Amino acid sequence: MRIGSYGLNLEKRLTLAGWEAAVISILAIVFALVLFSIIFILAGLNPLFAYKETFSYAFANPYGLPLTINRFIFLLLCTYAFIIPYRAGLWNIGMAGQLYAGALGAFAVLFAFGVKGFNTLDLSPGILITLMMIAAALSGAVLGAIAGFLKGKFNLNEIVVTMMLNFITFWLVSFMIKEGGPFMNPGGRGESFELPPSVYAPLIMDVPITILLALGVAALLYLMFAKTKIGYQIRAYGQNPAAAEYAGISTFKIPLLVFIMGGALAGLAGYHYFAAVPGVYKIARNYGYFGDLSFYGIICGLISQGNPLAAIPVALLFGGLSIGGRFVQGKLNMSFGVDYALLGVLMITLVAFQFFYRYKIVWVRTEEERLGEEMLDVAVHR
Amino acid sequence: MQKGLLQGIKRGDTVLEARGVTKRFPGVVANDQIDFEIKAGEIHAVLGENGAGKTTLMSILFGLYQPDEGAIYIGGQRVDFRSPLDAIDLGIGMVHQHRKLVSAHTAIENIILGHPRAGRILNLKRAEEEVNELCQKYGFKIDFRAKIWQLSEGEKQLVEILKALYRGAEILILDEPTSALAPVETERLLASIEAMARDDLAIVPFITHKLPIVLAISDRVTVLRRGKVTARLETEQATQKSLAKEMVGREVIFRIERTKVKKGKSILEVEDLSALSDKGFLALKGVSFSIREGEIFGIAGVSGNGQSELVEVLAGLRHAEGGKVILDGKDITFSSSLERWQMGVGYIPSDRTEVGSIGDFSLVENTTMNYYFDNRFSGRGIVDYRKLRKLTEEIVSEYGVVTPGTDTKAKTLSGGNLQKLILARVLSRRPRLLIAHLPTQGLDVGATEFVRNKLLEARQEEAGILLISEDLDEVLALSDWVAPIYEGELMGILPGEEAEREIVGAMMAGLRLKEDET
Repeated sequence: MRIGSYGLNLEKRLTLAGWEAAVISILAIVFALVLFSIIFILAGLNPLFAYKETFSYAFANPYGLPLTINRFIFLLLCTYAFIIPYRAGLWNIGMAGQLYAGALGAFAVLFAFGVKGFNTLDLSPGILITLMMIAAALSGAVLGAIAGFLKGKFNLNEIVVTMMLNFITFWLVSFMIKEGGPFMNPGGRGESFELPPSVYAPLIMDVPITILLALGVAALLYLMFAKTKIGYQIRAYGQNPAAAEYAGISTFKIPLLVFIMGGALAGLAGYHYFAAVPGVYKIARNYGYFGDLSFYGIICGLISQGNPLAAIPVALLFGGLSIGGRFVQGKLNMSFGVDYALLGVLMITLVAFQFFYRYKIVWVRTEEERLGEEMLDVAVHR
Repeated sequence: MQKGLLQGIKRGDTVLEARGVTKRFPGVVANDQIDFEIKAGEIHAVLGENGAGKTTLMSILFGLYQPDEGAIYIGGQRVDFRSPLDAIDLGIGMVHQHRKLVSAHTAIENIILGHPRAGRILNLKRAEEEVNELCQKYGFKIDFRAKIWQLSEGEKQLVEILKALYRGAEILILDEPTSALAPVETERLLASIEAMARDDLAIVPFITHKLPIVLAISDRVTVLRRGKVTARLETEQATQKSLAKEMVGREVIFRIERTKVKKGKSILEVEDLSALSDKGFLALKGVSFSIREGEIFGIAGVSGNGQSELVEVLAGLRHAEGGKVILDGKDITFSSSLERWQMGVGYIPSDRTEVGSIGDFSLVENTTMNYYFDNRFSGRGIVDYRKLRKLTEEIVSEYGVVTPGTDTKAKTLSGGNLQKLILARVLSRRPRLLIAHLPTQGLDVGATEFVRNKLLEARQEEAGILLISEDLDEVLALSDWVAPIYEGELMGILPGEEAEREIVGAMMAGLRLKEDET
């Protein structure tokens, strides 16, 4: 493109520093918000006011902030459930099924100890809570392992397998909690029995303890990919399976392992939402909504390019906007779906801006202009 | 851009010219003030080692890159290419070293792909007639309805050439045109190139490692070294030796000194080994041989005669269908490839970019491929990248890998430099058994000499080496034992000093030696 004697050129980037990626992402967010303000204007609202309401509710409101943080923990775990297989070049889109499995696993522990019958608990709550978390992680891991095993052994497409498992576990949950199911609420209502208050997950400043788990996983994953042997093997397999095989990396174990790890984290996300978030403490009737929400883990994982640390701000932003957007929709009497639309616009813009991860736009002066100036120089010097 | 700059050009007129072209990349000047011209009707070879700047120059001529300084002229008129489309419009066609064809489509579909006239509704019949005319003109033979994956490398090359010609190319740039071809196909291709040149097209093949081909068919040669033109010659005045000297910058010894090494104990025993190919037929049919310390066992043969299967079975990447593999007295037939690496097997795969390296990994991470399992470099599950960086730096300087640094991605290395890195990485493990599959394929003279000498050094250090090559001269020059392979069977095993070129050549084509003849 030419503007006067200057031109705009598209150049391929050879390297991309971390801060450049961050700047590009921030620009993308700003661009998305500007774009979305059209919606507010069409609804006759001042976009600045609407955004102020959205962000202040999500990040500075005593009612909104805990909601945001709970969403954030959930999203972050789902993001990691996606990222680990993604670094091995595999796509886990079974977070929904894995988190349902995790929830079922956690509730099964209580069921096994007779909690549902209002019996006194024989075990201390601390042990029970730990068992619930382990059961949740294991159940998610087993579901993930199915996809990983089939991929490693028979090269079956992991996307199809994880997606099908989502349907199976969705209806399994339904069977377990609806009327007549083993986990049904004594009052019916199509939801599971409620946790006894003694096994509520401990809170730290009103935030469930699972936040430590999520942030701990963030650090561990970062170290795993950067420093460890297994992290290296996963990355090598993800970049080039043939080369990994050449180097003696097992093309069976790696898919199995990443899906076990991913499934376990999604299972913990299920534990978090149904057994640790204040005010829930049961597998709710609308559990499918959280299954849908888990798919934002894919988006967060892609935007953060598989980087476990970059995933933290991304998941926080998406968690906050999904809460703030819903709030603004109600408060400003907007039509249904503002939060979804906002997340959608943000998502598309962030993905589109990844173009600038690979290319940059530079100003160049055209040849003629430079020659002209040089001749002018010569003339002046004479 | 105006078309028809080449109208009215006569044989011998300059058609394409680069004047003072300079192109810089971070850390390197790939092209430094290059002047270069092609005349109508000539076959002009551009010769240079890997990394000499040939590919950059050709990319500039084809509009893939824009020069930082200097300009391109067609028929004497200055042109600015913003993209290859501009170059194509002005009659320049390029055939890349790595084929860019859609393998599930037929030949004719590939030829018309992207052609402006193809439009939205395909008229395959008309296209076929037109392409057929081109074929008849130049004596090409090809089945248009065959799918690309069914064609041989040589036929794919023809499809690429036809694609360029059908788009109206009058100047044809061929990047390493014979590097993937079998000898017979090479001859056929060269005949086609000569036929095209007779028709006043300007042909620019550039060939790095096959000097005899340059001498046989080109009219003129331009030699590049480190981004500069070092010689412009009429081919008649050149010899293999003089060209090699210009390329490398010093005398190149075409003979290799093979010193005697005391023969030690047996390293590898292969007994009646057979294996299936990917397509499920028996590709390796009961091969037996043994390699001792300080020996190079050379398997000569045209690719596709079971070499890949043999190598993969030995490296633990393919199941043996029958037979035994014994390493240092231990049966490793069912050991995994990782176990074999740890037991001292080193493997240099034929495919450098897809198997031997990971393009998006840094050089350090690529070195890690052969060290992540090594306790000296990864204690307690943690990889010691500091130590590996040091090792990589040593490798890079010892083997003269040209690179801005060890954090560079492997995909930015030229073929020769990448091969040096892989070779260095594998040899630095001091393997007991080294499997080298086509180790000098596609390398220039200097790099080839380097790799061969490194193999001999490893032999000196009492490694047993299995060398698999298509280059008969290479096998004969290096090997203590020569075993021609044909359709999955060894046609005989000859002592290196007794192996005669003609006999080995005939054995590669299926002649079996009887016991009493050896």
